[in-house]
Amino acid sequence: MYKARHAWSFLLPAGILLTTFTLLPALAALGISFTNYNVFQPVEWVGLDNFKTAFQDEEFWSALRNTFYFWVLVTPALVVLPVFLAILVNQNLRAIKLYRLIYYFPALVSVVITAILWNWLFASDGIFNYLLSLVGVNPVDWLTSRKFVMPSLAMVTIWQGLGYYMLFYLAGLQSVPTDLYEAAELDGANFWQKHRHITFPMLKPIIFFTAVISTMSAFKEFTLMLTMTEGGPIGASKTVVYMVFEKAFKELEMGYASAISFILFIIILILTLLNKRTLDQET
Amino acid sequence: MQPAQTNINTVPKIDQTKQTRHLPNKRKAGRLIVSYFFLTLAAVVMIVPFLWSLSTALKGKNEAIFSFPPNFIPENITLENFMTVWNTLPIPLYLWNSIILAFWGVILPLLFCSLAAFPLARMNFKGKNTVFLVILATMMIPGEVTMIPIYLILEKLGLIDSFAGVILPGAVSAFGIFLMRQAFLGIPKEIDESAIIDGARPWQIWWYILIPMVKPMLATLAILSFIGSWNNFLWPLLVLQDPNAYPLTVGLYDLKGTFVTDTRLVSAGAIIALIPILVVFMMFQNYFIKGAYSSAVKG
Repeated sequence: MYKARHAWSFLLPAGILLTTFTLLPALAALGISFTNYNVFQPVEWVGLDNFKTAFQDEEFWSALRNTFYFWVLVTPALVVLPVFLAILVNQNLRAIKLYRLIYYFPALVSVVITAILWNWLFASDGIFNYLLSLVGVNPVDWLTSRKFVMPSLAMVTIWQGLGYYMLFYLAGLQSVPTDLYEAAELDGANFWQKHRHITFPMLKPIIFFTAVISTMSAFKEFTLMLTMTEGGPIGASKTVVYMVFEKAFKELEMGYASAISFILFIIILILTLLNKRTLDQET
Repeated sequence: MQPAQTNINTVPKIDQTKQTRHLPNKRKAGRLIVSYFFLTLAAVVMIVPFLWSLSTALKGKNEAIFSFPPNFIPENITLENFMTVWNTLPIPLYLWNSIILAFWGVILPLLFCSLAAFPLARMNFKGKNTVFLVILATMMIPGEVTMIPIYLILEKLGLIDSFAGVILPGAVSAFGIFLMRQAFLGIPKEIDESAIIDGARPWQIWWYILIPMVKPMLATLAILSFIGSWNNFLWPLLVLQDPNAYPLTVGLYDLKGTFVTDTRLVSAGAIIALIPILVVFMMFQNYFIKGAYSSAVKG
């Protein structure tokens, strides 16, 4: 009934754009990472040199450590905390819709605004240090000490992601048959027993989904660092993607930056596959 | 594989009355108090950053911002910070730029994704599976890898410092094509057949018959594209050089530099930038929530 030329003409606009801005760039990135392309000099093929340089570059290792540290801080929190939030908002209570909207809203706020909002809270005489002073703890340099900068940034990311991941869990919770809970209550199960034996097993697929998504986004995070700390202090919040951005657009070392972005891609790919394997085994 | 059609207002309710009917009243009341305590606690955590900036923006020059204990309610509420920001920075211009970018950032994906999804869902042609696999593959290519080549391609095309340079790289998403394909798959095939017998051309079938039937999915895709476009920060920052072309996100990033010491003004700027997204969110809350569910399908 339809002819092939019809099909291709409908596919054409999207095809051109996907080729120009996704397929070609991906191939080009691989190509560039084997060159010394830096805008000024003639392009030369350097083989694996960029990758070798990366593995000997202390800055790269530091960025990689920071990225992993950020991941460890963010992902477990974003996998676990939204479950409790979802359980809370999965009740038939008055104004529950309003609570859901409030929790979700931070996910819609652009990173620039988020950075501004949180800078005030982290200020040396801001709210967090006031709260600490109430319990007799000395003020903390939230964003300006090497020790606290990553946990502080992680806190912002968690704040922004809670409501977003809550929605996925909420969707999952609503597919749990109510009579399971009723039966458990008749048997005298308490809050923890109910959720331990009913909710968590039912949510398992979503838990792994959340783990995958939040892992990917934790590994790619850098606009928050760009807007809040500019990678500082002394590179303590410089992540791998931040380094790619800096190398490519500030130092114009496109070849080296492409190589680093590829290494990161491989790492994310491996983690995703590991996650998927665990998921397949568990379910 | 339809994305969950649940939305915030029509979620199937767990029948709480049934669940708690056999509980003594005292226990029911206790549970209610505990629930609301935690619900409100979490809400406060979510809201405080916004409230704190709002309160700072409303404080006058003579009032301390950082005081112990923090003062949430300004002594003298003033709008002068908002006036100063509004008069110093071209906020209406930034806002206008954001709106233009968001307009194209919504229209183009709607158009191109639903065009491409039509043959993938409803036609049989040679190479269909290959095309489908290639689109599937592009979903796995991460943005940080393609960032540099895309910039270089835009440079070659002469699109640096133009809105087209910000809009085009995100004008089609493989995810959007999938979403629309799912929607088209849900429509019975007989509709196309009888339309062709009646002499309709493919583009007429697409525009007059199919598109009106997938409006809910188009709305979802529109909202997802809107959030992405409105919050887009990296591409405008990389591509736009003329400050008069900045959208709100980049203008605000600049504002941090301009008023670096004046907390009140930066807060006022942030609040001004928040208002549009808050209004849109309130107006289309159901679509936002549905959009978030749909993006779960991506995994």
